[in-house]
Amino acid sequence: MTPKMFIKRYSKLERVFHLWIVLTFLNQAATGFSRLFIATTWGHKLTGILGGYKTAFLLHKVGGILMITGFLVHIMYLLTKIDRKNLIQSIFGPDSIVPNLKDIQHLWQRTLCFFGFGSLPKIDRWAYWEKFGYWGVFWGIPLLGTTGVMLMYPVLICRIMPGWILNIAALLHRAEAILAMSFIFIIHFFFGNFSPSKFPMNEAMFSGSVALHELVEEKPAWAERLRQEKKIEIVTTKPPALWYRVLYFIFGYAALAAGFYLLITGVVFSRYVKLH
Amino acid sequence: MNKAVIKKNRIIYFLGVVGVLIGLAVLVIGFPESGRTQEEVSSSIRRYRERVRTGYYEGYEVSPLNRQRDTLSASGILHSTVLLSPTAAGVRIRSYLPDAHAGLKFYEKRTCTECHTQQARSVHADRGGINCRQCHGPEPIPAIKHYYSPMNPIRRHAYVCATCHEGANDLFATYIIHEPAPGALTTKESFPAFFYANWFMVLLLVGTMAFFVPHSLMMILQEIAMKKGEDGIGGLADFIPDRFKVVLQELFPKKERPEE
Repeated sequence: MTPKMFIKRYSKLERVFHLWIVLTFLNQAATGFSRLFIATTWGHKLTGILGGYKTAFLLHKVGGILMITGFLVHIMYLLTKIDRKNLIQSIFGPDSIVPNLKDIQHLWQRTLCFFGFGSLPKIDRWAYWEKFGYWGVFWGIPLLGTTGVMLMYPVLICRIMPGWILNIAALLHRAEAILAMSFIFIIHFFFGNFSPSKFPMNEAMFSGSVALHELVEEKPAWAERLRQEKKIEIVTTKPPALWYRVLYFIFGYAALAAGFYLLITGVVFSRYVKLH
Repeated sequence: MNKAVIKKNRIIYFLGVVGVLIGLAVLVIGFPESGRTQEEVSSSIRRYRERVRTGYYEGYEVSPLNRQRDTLSASGILHSTVLLSPTAAGVRIRSYLPDAHAGLKFYEKRTCTECHTQQARSVHADRGGINCRQCHGPEPIPAIKHYYSPMNPIRRHAYVCATCHEGANDLFATYIIHEPAPGALTTKESFPAFFYANWFMVLLLVGTMAFFVPHSLMMILQEIAMKKGEDGIGGLADFIPDRFKVVLQELFPKKERPEE
């Protein structure tokens, strides 16, 4: 093993899924906030930048449909990854992102270690905070998607449901959107950019690879497993090209700036809108 | 997993998803027809209920015979048992008047939300720029429960909602235009599903941030300590009582770090 070896962490398709959710999420956040804050001066300006009230709303609807489509394609992708002959291992094994009891154990170990007891947990392929982020999106999109479609077609929905369901749908849509934005723009960006071990950027989701020495430090159980299964050589890949690194650094920081701008300005102007 | 198995899986699941999409399309097409959009639909007179969905407009009579004396509705035991005082009934009875504001002093010089403060909460007004009169009508504004009012729930969907939302039916008209404050305790009585949905989401947001913000700070400090060759913040253990510290040290002994 040499420190300059790079291990493949995400496939091309997985990175496309991430890029898809980044773009649609930012679109939804900007167009959603332009509608939510329309009664404020900032909301007016933001709506103007996005092409006016109707255009911003149309962009929100189109973005939502694209987000749901991406989610459905992702579900299909997940289903193809399940090994039906080895179902339990496939769903609850170390390569699976499904939470298990070890995650609670790892959290407990990490907290104890922080206070000076025991050692750091030996994390495998997916850390518990990565799993939380993934499943947060996994429950968030169906909730946002379902309530969003209900609000898009209220007359049709009211052929089978009472209208007061739309009051609840609007409330859930807004609250889940605010929760998702808070989590992504504060917690996810922390793990992606501001964690001391990752600063200035966790490149794995864009480059698709991670340096072996970083992997050994962060995911010792996975590195050990790869070594035991003699897969290190198989999953070795090239480091990302310089031009590509520049590109995704610009993109990543632009997304981060947009997210912080929306979140901070949203908090400042929240006193001027009724969140109903 | 070999490529042949993956390919076979993909075909099966692709067909499955296509099947689900076709099913959804059939469901949408097969939604009940919006047959109740233009007729008056509700009657509390028992003998008319069975005719409510006949589809024949004015095929049955909906008359104000169902007026009952106003009663105090306190949740639970007092419901419909205590009659309102003459004064309180006088206020409540306004909701049945042909001119809801008849006899109010200085009425012409006041605005709607001066008195109807709770009704100022409306997405239609805030986002859609719709004013009160566009739905409640010109003067004299009939009370909502008045038999001939377009806002009467028996015809609100056809006379008010459908002017913008084409095809709106009586179910659609149950949308609460003037939403109560979702977190208020009074909403627990008037719109419990709204109240509980709100508090569930508030707790979820607060819980998520309450866990992850300190967790992120912990990771920052821990990673800074790791750069100095330590796993955690050793000094923090000094704040833990000695007897607990001994137990924890026995249960979770430090392990030697493997050589790089």
